[in-house]
Amino acid sequence: MTTASATPLIAVSELAARYGHIHALHPTSLYVAPGEFVTILGPNGAGKTTLLRAITRLIASSGHITFNGRDVTGLKTHQLAELGIIMAPEGRGLFGDMTVRENLVLGAFKAKPGELSGRLDKVFTLFPRLHERLDQIASSMSGGEQQMLAVGRALMADPKLLILDEPSLGLAPRVASEILSTLGLLNKEGLGILLVEQKAPLALKLAQRVYILSSGSIQAELPTNQIKSYHDLARYYFH
Amino acid sequence: MPSSVELIQSLINGVGIGLVYGLVAIGFSVIYNASGIVNFAQGVFVMLGGMFAHTLLTTLGIPIWLSAIVSTIAVAGVGILVQILIITPMWVRKAPLFAIILATLAIQLLIEQIIIITLGDQPRTFPSFTPGGPLKIGEIALGYQLFWILGCGALMVYALTQFFNRTRMGRALRACSQNAEAAALLGIPVNRMLMLSFALSAALGAVAGILITPTQYTAYSVGGPFGINGFIAAIIGGFGSAPAALIGGIVLGVVQSGAIVFFGAGFKNVVALTVLLIVLLFFPNGLFGGLAKKA
Ligand SMILES: Nc1ncnc2c1ncn2[C@@H]1O[C@H](COP(=O)(O)OP(=O)(O)O)[C@@H](O)[C@H]1O
Ligand SMILES: [Mg+2]
Repeated sequence: MTTASATPLIAVSELAARYGHIHALHPTSLYVAPGEFVTILGPNGAGKTTLLRAITRLIASSGHITFNGRDVTGLKTHQLAELGIIMAPEGRGLFGDMTVRENLVLGAFKAKPGELSGRLDKVFTLFPRLHERLDQIASSMSGGEQQMLAVGRALMADPKLLILDEPSLGLAPRVASEILSTLGLLNKEGLGILLVEQKAPLALKLAQRVYILSSGSIQAELPTNQIKSYHDLARYYFH
Repeated sequence: MPSSVELIQSLINGVGIGLVYGLVAIGFSVIYNASGIVNFAQGVFVMLGGMFAHTLLTTLGIPIWLSAIVSTIAVAGVGILVQILIITPMWVRKAPLFAIILATLAIQLLIEQIIIITLGDQPRTFPSFTPGGPLKIGEIALGYQLFWILGCGALMVYALTQFFNRTRMGRALRACSQNAEAAALLGIPVNRMLMLSFALSAALGAVAGILITPTQYTAYSVGGPFGINGFIAAIIGGFGSAPAALIGGIVLGVVQSGAIVFFGAGFKNVVALTVLLIVLLFFPNGLFGGLAKKA
């Protein structure tokens, strides 16, 4: 996929963030083209979460962000969400004391009342398990079910760009690949996806492009069809 | 030993004042859950409710029901102003929670001074919502205002429970209290929700102040005692749900009235604070465990 000429879905330029004196994210630029599936890989502590939190404005940062060609640098988290930039955050961020249904309905906070049932149906088609657990308290579910709910809730917001921060963390491989495959499905339908993982061969297989992030900087950007084996990437991990 | 009539009478009075504490306690809980802020200006909303209603009623001759509604809305407006002018700017500048809480204390004192200057420092009251009474059952006398307090208190708690569980905005407020970042990521305007929580808390305080004034009096200084008692009730209730806060208020009100009958008026606060310490010792998260969830 060549995208240099087309307007990217999201383009981040020179985004940088720090915690006090610690520069967790050095000036970083990346983009996701419309309908593209992009994976960011990096070891623990690389700055992946910091990058995503800077993009979604959960933390302050320098740099610029455009979305569909529009400068959205000055917008707040909830305004970006209104435009369709939706993140399932690290640790899932569920409303733990609420039911599955309430979590999902909150995902559609910005939807018109008439749109709710259609979105619910779509989520239930992707994750039938959520339909069975509608009245269960979110925190009482298994890790896999909770992650399905986190993704399902994000989908309820009708994302134009879906951002996910390590959705497979702590899950059994089979459950993780079930969830990642669903992301592949959504991407086939045209949804732009920005996925962060530490290491997940499937995340590489699904993506069209991968960025390698280490020590707060992007070390490499590769089309996934040029990566022959997962071990090719190891040399980028230690800088 | 007090007579049984005295005891029952004090129990009933205790429930009445306890409901008022409960409304203040719900106000504390609403803001605390939305933001982690303990709003020590909560009592000032109680005072403003009574003072505004009194002014509209006696100076402008507006009927009590309309005075009550207008005052409640006006006090909600004060709550929003506090949030916009003080809380949000501090929030945005990442002021420590402790500094914000101190600021709410300053707001209380400031508003009290403004009231002294504008409306004066004299205590005042207005008659019960419905004239006549009290209703006599044997030797026990029930002032009509008590029924207003019971009715309005129950109605408020019911309406609040419906609001938090059934409406889009109520659910969003709960979402902010559980995970504000996750809420923002779904498009929920967290700051607007904080504003809503201040409006709601202020309105609750105002209703409490309007309901209680006919049974005693209001003055610029009543905010402190109501705030403290509401705060104690909120801790007993665990800063959780509206019913929990209300029960905290009733427990406190009944214990205080009992203390007056048994030991004299001077022991009212001694007993109240003792109850608070006992609750904190044995139920450190409040009677219903609500405090465990936040920290
Ligand atoms: N709130 C914070 N305060 C200080 N340092 C932090 C904070 N969050 C993350 N860091 C540091 O920033 C670096 C990047 O963290 P993070 O973005 O969470 O990495 P990743 O998501 O790739 O594991 C790490 O060195 C981490 O210790
Ligand atoms: Mg991370």
